[in-house]
Amino acid sequence: MREIYYILLLPVMCGLLGFLIKRLRNEMGFLGFVLTLYFSLRIFLLFQNQSFSYDIASIAGIDFRIYVDNLTRFILLFNALFAFLILLYSVLAMRKMPGESVYQLYLGLTLSGANGVVLSGNLILLLIFWNMLVFSLYGILLVGKKESVLAARKALTIIGVSDFIMMLGILIIYVLMGEVNFPVNQKLPLSNGIYIAVYILLLVGALAKAGAMPLHTWIPESAKVVPASTMAFIPASLDKLLGIYFLVRISYYLFDISQSMPIRITLMVIGSITIIFAVMMALVQKEAMRLLSFCAVSQVGYMFLGIGTCIPIGVAGGLFHMLNHTLYDACLFLSAGSVEYRTRTTELDRLGGLGVKMPLTMFCFIIAAFAISGVPPFNGFYSKWMIYQGVIELHKQTNLWVIFLVSAMFGSVLTLASFLKMIHSLFLGERPKELDKVCEARFGMVTPTLILALLCIIFGIFAEQIPLAHLIYPSLPFLRIEKIGFWSAELTTILMILGIVIGLIIFLLGTGLKPRKSKVFVGGEVLDTEQARITGPNFYSSVHNIDMLEKTYKFGGEGAFDFYNYLRGIFGGFSVIFRDVINQFFVIFYRSLAGVIQALGRVFSSIHNGELPGYLGWIFLGGIIILILVGLL
Amino acid sequence: MNMEFNFLFDRFGIFLSITFIFIGLMSFIYALATIKQKGHKLEYYLMLLLIVLSGVGVALSNNILFIYICWEIATFAVWRAVVFYRNPDQVSSGNIVFITNFISGAIMLIGIGILYLDNNSLIISQIRQLNLTAIILITIGIFTKSVILPLHFWLIPAYSSIPSAIGGLLAGIAENLGLILFYRLFSTNIYVPDEFFAVVAWLAVISSLIAGGAAYRTNRLRYLLAYSTISQVGFILLGFSAGGQFGNSGAMLYILAHALAKSGLFYGVGTIEDITGEANIKNISCMLKVSPILTVMMALLFSSLVGFFPMIGFFSKLMVIIGALQKNIYFGFFAIASAIFTLLYSDRFYHELFYGEKCDIKEIKSARKVGIVEIIVVFILTLSSLLLGIFFYEILAFIGGF
Repeated sequence: MREIYYILLLPVMCGLLGFLIKRLRNEMGFLGFVLTLYFSLRIFLLFQNQSFSYDIASIAGIDFRIYVDNLTRFILLFNALFAFLILLYSVLAMRKMPGESVYQLYLGLTLSGANGVVLSGNLILLLIFWNMLVFSLYGILLVGKKESVLAARKALTIIGVSDFIMMLGILIIYVLMGEVNFPVNQKLPLSNGIYIAVYILLLVGALAKAGAMPLHTWIPESAKVVPASTMAFIPASLDKLLGIYFLVRISYYLFDISQSMPIRITLMVIGSITIIFAVMMALVQKEAMRLLSFCAVSQVGYMFLGIGTCIPIGVAGGLFHMLNHTLYDACLFLSAGSVEYRTRTTELDRLGGLGVKMPLTMFCFIIAAFAISGVPPFNGFYSKWMIYQGVIELHKQTNLWVIFLVSAMFGSVLTLASFLKMIHSLFLGERPKELDKVCEARFGMVTPTLILALLCIIFGIFAEQIPLAHLIYPSLPFLRIEKIGFWSAELTTILMILGIVIGLIIFLLGTGLKPRKSKVFVGGEVLDTEQARITGPNFYSSVHNIDMLEKTYKFGGEGAFDFYNYLRGIFGGFSVIFRDVINQFFVIFYRSLAGVIQALGRVFSSIHNGELPGYLGWIFLGGIIILILVGLL
Repeated sequence: MNMEFNFLFDRFGIFLSITFIFIGLMSFIYALATIKQKGHKLEYYLMLLLIVLSGVGVALSNNILFIYICWEIATFAVWRAVVFYRNPDQVSSGNIVFITNFISGAIMLIGIGILYLDNNSLIISQIRQLNLTAIILITIGIFTKSVILPLHFWLIPAYSSIPSAIGGLLAGIAENLGLILFYRLFSTNIYVPDEFFAVVAWLAVISSLIAGGAAYRTNRLRYLLAYSTISQVGFILLGFSAGGQFGNSGAMLYILAHALAKSGLFYGVGTIEDITGEANIKNISCMLKVSPILTVMMALLFSSLVGFFPMIGFFSKLMVIIGALQKNIYFGFFAIASAIFTLLYSDRFYHELFYGEKCDIKEIKSARKVGIVEIIVVFILTLSSLLLGIFFYEILAFIGGF
């Protein structure tokens, strides 16, 4: 039981000690995160298939309760794993960056907060930890490679506002139910209007945390300006873990969304829209981090789609996709970060041909890119396959399943397309001259990336045996998870490797190693190789020029789809009205006061006219009044 | 006539007295460093002490007449503080402050007279007959003192003119007097009709929302502080009028949270005004370069105002909203909208003050250095907001009610 306190306190304590004692910073951080990983692993092994809860305190009639079940165990383990890998990476990557001294403190704070959210057995305690994450998010975004204050502001506003909305939902449940402890005795019904409202309020919190549309806009905004390790840690891994954790908790443990078709459709529509819109944005990006961040947003759509189906296989797929997403997305951000570490740029048209120089990074990147695009046999494929099965199974309940399925598959294709562009621009093609001295990233940076890439492969090939059997299926409240269709990862892997080997042999036997080289002419002038280089960014620029899409992209580029702008606009509009109201009171009051005083003045000045008879009259009148009063008393 | 001026040393009163004396002490230290006017410096400290006295008097009093006397002392002291520098602008602001407070005080006195005639006593615990006229008249006084819409208007000129050292007291003490009277006279009294509380709660929450909105689009630093105070005080009154354990304890916690945060912000803003000589947000930016430590502390104070964990503002807001929801679910939506406004205006002001695009390094280098005393005062207020936020249950245990 003590482990629970350790994993809550160790990260933030070690972060704080490292912040205070500069010399021991890395040691402290390392120690804290390794111990947290160890204790998380212990919790994972110790409390297998059992759930328990106990109260740590009772303040103001609210039980502050810890609750551990299978879902908790598995999220805790991955929280700690990611934190550890990112720390390992950031020790080298963040060296000599501004704000380096507080970076580990924020990492620790975030990990503690995230562990707290997952361990909370009470919605109010969860709210407290959730709120703590706003602090650490804002702080960590400020530690940037460039001026990141705008991105931090946007994140603070969006997350802060959604937190308040979520707070309202939690407090309404608290007031209605009297207690909000896990596990709930009886799931709340979604038939009543007020409960539906509460569910939507809570959903806003989950949407913002997971970064689904329309609350995602701070993620691409920060991608350009914050270090890759921050992107890999918060939007790519921890926020997804927490957001989807919360979504699953409210959808299947607190409420039961299987009763309410409209809510499920809402979730799936949000999912589909997120998939398509975000990937369309990703397709035309010209900067590596932004492209990755849009792809990351797009993948959240699959999780919402899977969880919204309410079909056991689909929900398991959604949860599994969340896990896979954190693995490959963190891996992508870290390898892109390694490229940036060596080349000092993330603009796609200034990069290229780095495959020879950075083979390990390329390997990791390609594995993760295939995983995110859903290429078998990697992990992303398996979870997407499960989600597809869930959506297909939906055909008995709604006719919209076709749209969901098409958008999910189409999104997958577009993801692959954008990653082909990115792989080409980073690792293939002609190398610009100034990148000739680039070499492989440091050992400490490649190791975490490699670990993540290997996990992507293992979780893909042995999906049934390892992650699904031990992590995903036990975490869900379904007794039986039925699969439709047939898939054998081992067989596919063998066949694919066989195919690749045959392809390689044909390639080597043919002209593959003897490319034809000649000069490039334009109008009789010989271009040097630098000018003739084919860079990636314009791969799909024709998409940009399709009539309707052109306008949409232009609109989007100007911030038309940015919730942040609408939020500020709406509140700003009300604000102008309110300011006028508040000032008008002032004017009205003082005008009326001045009127009264002037009227009184006029009356008195007419009395006070300086004529003796008048004054004598007043004196007599006063005397009579005094006499009457004396007589009365 | 039963005129014993007896005191009531309950936990609420003691808690408030400690808060007020602490805020007074901070103001005193800050004043030592910043008030340079030679001629009538003494007047300044007298007013400072009078405001603290009025706060403690109202907090510990059991007699409405004594509360009224303290109330008028506060009116007088605030008026003198507003006109401290004797500029024509300040004198006209002072007139507004004095006239408004005095008239409302007189109206309240009529209400107190009616209460006396009905109950033949001015001891709060002995008041059983509450005439509706008396309630309304006293409420007018309370609304004026505690700046609830539509009787808030004196606060804006007052905040624009008051020296920042005593502005913290105005925010931390003088505006709470009405709230304390409301709690003592109405919230704990079972003879007050429920409808009255419902009306007050609606007024409070709407006042909070409108003032929060107004703060988002204003450009003057002092106006921001004024609107923000109106908004926060609305929250406190919402807590007291919603009642219940959560409402009352939350509102008490909120008084503490707001007093700490707002006086800290007042001193921070005052310091910025001192070193830049500007009162408009559009002309100030990049204060981060001038004083990083002030930046961090102002961030924490603003987050206490907004209500982020682990600052004390989080728990007070949480409890007040629970109290309000218990009364009526719809209060919650308005309160959350108001909280979102708080977040937006805090975000806007904080970032425009401390960050911002146009950083003129040369101009910033010529700016006066921030004094150590100012920093220490703001630091103590920030630290106490943080620590009390972490150990908020100790305060709840002290106030009782649970």
